[in-house]
Amino acid sequence: MSQTLSFYQDGTTWIHRLNPVTKLAFVAAVTIAAFGVDNLWWPALLFLLLEVPAAVLAGVAKRFVKLVLGFFAPFLVILFLLQGLTYPEPGTVLVELGPLAVKTEGLVFAGTTALRLLVMVSAFIVLLLTTHPGTLMSAMQQAGLPPKIAYVISATMQIIPSFQARAGAIMQAQQARGLDLGSGGALTRARRLVPLMGPLLLGALTDVENRSIAMESRAFGSPQRPTAFTIVPDSAAQRAARWAMILLAVLAIALHTLGVL
Amino acid sequence: MSNMPTTRRYPPWMLITAGSAVIIATYLYLVVWQPESLVGGAGVGPAALIALVGYLIGSGLIIAGAMARMPTSTVTLLPIAIAINIVAGQINNMVGLPLYLDSIGTVLVGLLAGPAAGAATGALSNVIWGISISPASLPYSTTQVVIGLLAGLFARWGWTRRVPTAVAAGVATGVVAAFVSGPISAFIFGGANASAGRSAIVAVFQTLGLDTLGASIAQGLTVDPLDKSIAFLVAVIILRALPSRFSQRFPFARENSVFAPRSASVLARARTVDVLDDRDRAPVPASIAATAPTAAGTDGAAPGTTGTTAAKDEEGGRS
Repeated sequence: MSQTLSFYQDGTTWIHRLNPVTKLAFVAAVTIAAFGVDNLWWPALLFLLLEVPAAVLAGVAKRFVKLVLGFFAPFLVILFLLQGLTYPEPGTVLVELGPLAVKTEGLVFAGTTALRLLVMVSAFIVLLLTTHPGTLMSAMQQAGLPPKIAYVISATMQIIPSFQARAGAIMQAQQARGLDLGSGGALTRARRLVPLMGPLLLGALTDVENRSIAMESRAFGSPQRPTAFTIVPDSAAQRAARWAMILLAVLAIALHTLGVL
Repeated sequence: MSNMPTTRRYPPWMLITAGSAVIIATYLYLVVWQPESLVGGAGVGPAALIALVGYLIGSGLIIAGAMARMPTSTVTLLPIAIAINIVAGQINNMVGLPLYLDSIGTVLVGLLAGPAAGAATGALSNVIWGISISPASLPYSTTQVVIGLLAGLFARWGWTRRVPTAVAAGVATGVVAAFVSGPISAFIFGGANASAGRSAIVAVFQTLGLDTLGASIAQGLTVDPLDKSIAFLVAVIILRALPSRFSQRFPFARENSVFAPRSASVLARARTVDVLDDRDRAPVPASIAATAPTAAGTDGAAPGTTGTTAAKDEEGGRS
């Protein structure tokens, strides 16, 4: 189990130094563009012309490929098996295998969906690889994210690793007492979750009270906006770029609807 | 509570209402005016984009509205509930069950702090999961919004006081969750699912003649009711196992007596009046609640929301 949640890879390229909100706008723009235009090769174009170069420029190409493949390969196989063999709408049948049939439309449908998801997921991975989670939170808070939401997100990111460590310790403790994790049917496996989850959840919930008392005594939730300790640099150019990216995505959809693209 | 912002641009219910309206409109567009784009053509047309954008905007508005006036005690509960969602989901995958188990924390907050807090927990849970481990769970935040909302409502209606009704509430929530997540699976993910087993269920329903949307909903109906009833059961068991001091700290759980039926003893009645008088000042002492004599109250007795009904129940029990 990984000790940290973030994919962040340290670097000093200009992509690393961009304001995280700009990168977030990039994720939104390419996702909107990929899903909005109804063309098989358009998402592939976005992926090859925008996201792959971004990963290469940021110097994270190796991990980018690894993460995208690791996340995407199993999904891709499932999607093509599902829609390739059992596409429900009428279409041109290529091969007939009893109740299953390979249809051109099914393959096209699976391809489009896969490429769109590829664009969305890779855009996210570029963002996560080049942005420290703390910086992302600070930048979003400066862009107007309410402090309570920012707290919940960053606290969760910190709690999960310690939670996983706690779960690992509980699992080892129960195994030391003779709990067998490897075998059995569904019901035995389900019953086995009880000695794992019980101590984990009860322990975590008893921490809540102390935490909230400590936070209230430090004026958490006061309506006054706190000043920031780390100020994420931003520029007028980046602000303009964000709007431009979103507008371009909408423009792509508009051009497609008018039949140009 | 002590920390309400004094000035706000919008009343919070407005954001929650707007968010719900956006989600409902998106759903109606996707299901009732089922776009014919799934049939023929290159792909799924505008439906996928509308599903993605509509659901995410709706969830975002609900998060903002619900978080705006949340007391600190609830805010500190959220990260733990979300971590429970995510870690339980991972343990589930490790042990290899064909379920999700990723909504226990959402149900827990729904029971303790009410529908709005539950909805915010659910939405944030999948947003955080999406931006940290698996971007694919991001679009499903709307399903979790509905789960948290229903958990809070069932708690308010008193379904979580006894185990059988809590399981029934889980089954009902699962059915609704299946209908909500169907369009997400169908239009955004093309019916496929990260789990091979669940995708096989979709494939079976497609061979039986359902379209992708119908097959996705049918797949949800086979898994979600079981999964959500487990979530409700686990949440209720956990919250009963904790010292009742814990759940009594949450005004919602206290006022609706979400867990054990409060016995209509003299002590409980006196305390009921007490709680109503200064509901935000002092939590109910747990030791008294746990040891209160239960001779008079019957299990089905309605919780004393006022002193007079509690007194009536007591008389009925004695005669």
